[in-house]
Amino acid sequence: MLTIALAKGRTADDVVPRWRRAGLPVPVDLDDSRALVFEVDAPAHGPLRFLLAKPADVPTYVSFGVADIGVVGKDVLLESGREVYELLDLRAARCRLCVAGRPEERDRRPRRVATKYPRLADQYFRSLGVAVETIPLSGSIELAAVIGLADRIFDLVQTGATLAANGLVVFDEVLDVSARLIANRSSYRTKRQGIQWIADRLAETLAEEAVES
Amino acid sequence: MSIDIQQRWADRPLGMRDVYPQQARRRRQLESRLLRVFEHSGFEMVSCGLLEYVDTLLRGRASSEAEDWLRMVDATGRTVVLRPEMTPSIARMAAPLLAAGTREIRWSYAERVYRRTNDPASLSWASGKAAESTQVGVEWIGQSGADADADLIALCQTALAALGLEGWQMVASHAVFAPAFLEAHGLQAETVESLTLCLARGDYVGFRAVVGAVSAATGVPQDVLDQLSALNPLDADLPEALQRRFGASEPGRRALRAWGELRELAAVLRRRGLADRVSFDLTLVRDLTYYTGLVFEVFAPGAGAPIALGGRYDDLLVQFGTPAPAIGFAFEAERLLTALTEGDWLHAADEPADSGDLVARRPGATNRPGEEGSAC
Repeated sequence: MLTIALAKGRTADDVVPRWRRAGLPVPVDLDDSRALVFEVDAPAHGPLRFLLAKPADVPTYVSFGVADIGVVGKDVLLESGREVYELLDLRAARCRLCVAGRPEERDRRPRRVATKYPRLADQYFRSLGVAVETIPLSGSIELAAVIGLADRIFDLVQTGATLAANGLVVFDEVLDVSARLIANRSSYRTKRQGIQWIADRLAETLAEEAVES
Repeated sequence: MSIDIQQRWADRPLGMRDVYPQQARRRRQLESRLLRVFEHSGFEMVSCGLLEYVDTLLRGRASSEAEDWLRMVDATGRTVVLRPEMTPSIARMAAPLLAAGTREIRWSYAERVYRRTNDPASLSWASGKAAESTQVGVEWIGQSGADADADLIALCQTALAALGLEGWQMVASHAVFAPAFLEAHGLQAETVESLTLCLARGDYVGFRAVVGAVSAATGVPQDVLDQLSALNPLDADLPEALQRRFGASEPGRRALRAWGELRELAAVLRRRGLADRVSFDLTLVRDLTYYTGLVFEVFAPGAGAPIALGGRYDDLLVQFGTPAPAIGFAFEAERLLTALTEGDWLHAADEPADSGDLVARRPGATNRPGEEGSAC
């Protein structure tokens, strides 16, 4: 049996249709159930077990081997610092990691940065040779810049609509982010066939889509 | 702020894990078992102190490897490290003996090793980077060549058989081949370095991105990763066109030399009936820089990280004062136990034998790792 950890929310929403298009089995009630574990049978490859997990937990599940493979955003993967194999860029759930703030802060030295990604933010500002304080928050990061808790935010930007609605602008684009197929190091060796089957089917679908567009 | 509970017990430091009677016995039995197998093949047990000077450990390797070492300063002001592995200590001990005329050294060990990590102890024993773990291994100094490599692979397989472990998978590669193969395709040294780092991390997406970016300028094929992973020295030789091309450049000849060693090893493994349990994957790169030849990892269902790791390090001993070829491997004892017992060895006796004064437990209530004292 292969266990697959899917990052709940936008990543799963974007990836599951592609998974279907690739001819890979998906539990029928995945979209509208409150359950967190689903099983579905894959002809010739045995049962697949899907776990719906909080994105930040997917690298943890996979690195500890309780899930063999996982689907999660590159941002979360980098922030986790976990040792997993990164097999495929699924080119889904795309967005950008950006530095943003109120327009009047643009030319001032960064001092305090609010973020869901303390490790990455620290790494980024260090690479610029700037010493900043990072303020770890868990959501609605924009708020910190609006009310002046921080003069910068380091966060994911998809359309920029939330930033605009709060009077914030992007100062710098740090990284393009998309969903990745990851695998546990041991599973990749001991369950290679099943994992390769899924990776190959997805890669073929991605190649077809690239040709179509 | 904290919840208002009186702290009565002494804390266990972060990452440390207590091991109770049945569990400790099991671990000691496993260590003894492996050491007996090693002794049977002529490897004698040695031991040394837990601390090494940081400059000892850094001989022959990149300083980036030191990131997760536990360092402190000793009474004379020199930086010491809680050893993260045994190989440098063995090299330090062996070098003077070799210089004095000893031709060959076969040593085994069973020792605790240490790393800096935030992972919970019981989980990291199974799959992650453990703050403290037990390595049981061998180092064989003074022999080189395919027969010695095969002997060591045979020893590892014999030990696995003696433990009765099933479903394990040994993956082998060559430390020099992938970097030389990439350089021989016309890539710059620094590009090769970042690609090798991608392979060591298992970042195949990053690898393809780097190749994609330089492909047009250098002519390196987009699918070079697939080409590399399709190579199998057990099955077939390198394509002739590639051999001719590689023969014309220095990195190419380096790749051909490494490939020749792999082919020779594959032939010996086949002849000795050891090939069935070994698969070659030349994209496998170990993150230790001192390896010079064969590298291998062993995986088993139930353990999310390798249960054994090893390789050849012919250039390390010279860093300790005497040139000598060497090869070795180590089992991760706690990971092996996890794989052997499906994680059960830590559940078996989590409670101290006399738990009268601890939190009362319902009859039959099971105690899982990490939950001690929080029941009820």
